[in-house]
Amino acid sequence: MSHLLRAFPAFLRVSIQAMLQYRGEILLWCMWGIVNPTVLYVMWSAATRGAPDGKIAGLDQNGFAVYYFFLLIVGHLTAAWDVYNMSYLVRKGQLSPLLLRPILPMWESLSSNLAYKITTLMFAAPMWLIFILITQPSFQTEWWQVGLGTIALLLGAALNYMLCYTVALVAFWTTKLDAVGEIYFGLGMLLGGRMAPVDALPPYLQIASELLPFKWMFAFPVEVLAGMRDDVNSVTRGLLIQAVWVVLVVMVFRMGWHLAVKRYSAVSG
Amino acid sequence: MSRAFSLMLLFARISVQNFAAYRADFFLRGIMSLVQLAAELIVVDTIFHNTETLAGWRLPHMLVLVGVYRMVAGGIRIYIVPNMRRVLEDIREGTLDFVLLKPVNSQLLVSIREFVFWRMTDLIYGGTAAAIGASMLAQDIGVKQIATFVFMLAAGFAIIYSVWLALATVGFWFIRVQNIEMVFWNVFEAGRFPVMIYPYWVQWSLTFLVPLAFITTFPAGTLLADPATGVPAAAPYYAAGIAVVSVLLSSWFWRFGLKHYSGASA
Repeated sequence: MSHLLRAFPAFLRVSIQAMLQYRGEILLWCMWGIVNPTVLYVMWSAATRGAPDGKIAGLDQNGFAVYYFFLLIVGHLTAAWDVYNMSYLVRKGQLSPLLLRPILPMWESLSSNLAYKITTLMFAAPMWLIFILITQPSFQTEWWQVGLGTIALLLGAALNYMLCYTVALVAFWTTKLDAVGEIYFGLGMLLGGRMAPVDALPPYLQIASELLPFKWMFAFPVEVLAGMRDDVNSVTRGLLIQAVWVVLVVMVFRMGWHLAVKRYSAVSG
Repeated sequence: MSRAFSLMLLFARISVQNFAAYRADFFLRGIMSLVQLAAELIVVDTIFHNTETLAGWRLPHMLVLVGVYRMVAGGIRIYIVPNMRRVLEDIREGTLDFVLLKPVNSQLLVSIREFVFWRMTDLIYGGTAAAIGASMLAQDIGVKQIATFVFMLAAGFAIIYSVWLALATVGFWFIRVQNIEMVFWNVFEAGRFPVMIYPYWVQWSLTFLVPLAFITTFPAGTLLADPATGVPAAAPYYAAGIAVVSVLLSSWFWRFGLKHYSGASA
């Protein structure tokens, strides 16, 4: 444990330095994160005009502005992409040196994940501000919701990161991980409350969304932060469910990692 | 002209032959492109689970739009993007020399070298979705509408091609532009929904500055020929004008850019 505490800050420092070399690229990645939620916000606010009482799943136009504003933040801070990266590392044989280190390769990947989120803030935060200036939402969030919502956001980020990394272990068995990555991302989009708030989904998607962890990564933190969950008990219960999911996925990861490393054979690069 | 055509066929044949070595890959990709279409249809289902109309567009209208979006997104990946990606690569590496030395029009040659055969599946899936949407309409669709629709699609591809040729040409001055593709798909994302949902100034920019409206919304709208969609009846005339102007401008820009190309030996 103590060597991890010494190694991790060093990893993080290196990752941030590495990230800062790519300022132009960072700006483009940020744009990617902002265009999709903004287009969906515009689409849903146009859809409310066609709905009978001007509301969809209890949200009016302002409700959607608030929802998608928080989704911009939550989507950015919970991002994870190892499911795309891992097959590259395995195929190019770049995983071998990482495996020889006396520390899990995951810690280095986690440090670059955090470095991305820290360094991109300088572009993302102004974009969030522009979103507010244009849509002019009025917020109804209370302070306790900000507090618990932040915890939900952290748990959501942990859950997405862990599950993404665990699914990425498939790369040890097949190099065709692109398809897996697309499906993982697509499920998060459809069932995680990104394409539409979970309450607006048709019944068959709602059932799927209940069964899978994706809504606990994105939708739940957004709903708490947007002030859509008034009941303290339901929020704490939600935090508990998030925590259970995180523990579960960590357990699966430990088993999966054990099998994956046994199975690993390098590809010469 | 016939020489250009036989060159095109030759490159296409080589690509298909190369591809035949990866049959399992083909099936996987075909399935993925079907999954992608399914996801897009789920989005439409979710929208109309909650509302009757989206800026005047109803369910059959949106099905047609989804189909058009898939066809165009696939079409771009068959020819346009892979070729332009290669031009940008060639400019950076200096291998464009080999293209310029060939006794063929350089613009033609750089536009036909790659042919991503399996993306044809997108044309089939998208076309099917559009046909299903069109068959759900109350009124019949005439031959004239279909002809206009095909014309609009062709004009749309001509516009996208020109935009990409211009983007690739920018590579003569700014060598590190691999990220251009990401910007393009970012903007293209906005074409998933009818441009009528956007505020007026965005709508205007998407029609005249970045003519995205002519690529998905307007072709779908001309097939539907329903005033409720808000697609102007004169759209085909505008499309023809913009397509011709953009093809001429981008071709001129390419030749202008070529003069600035000095090879790269590194």
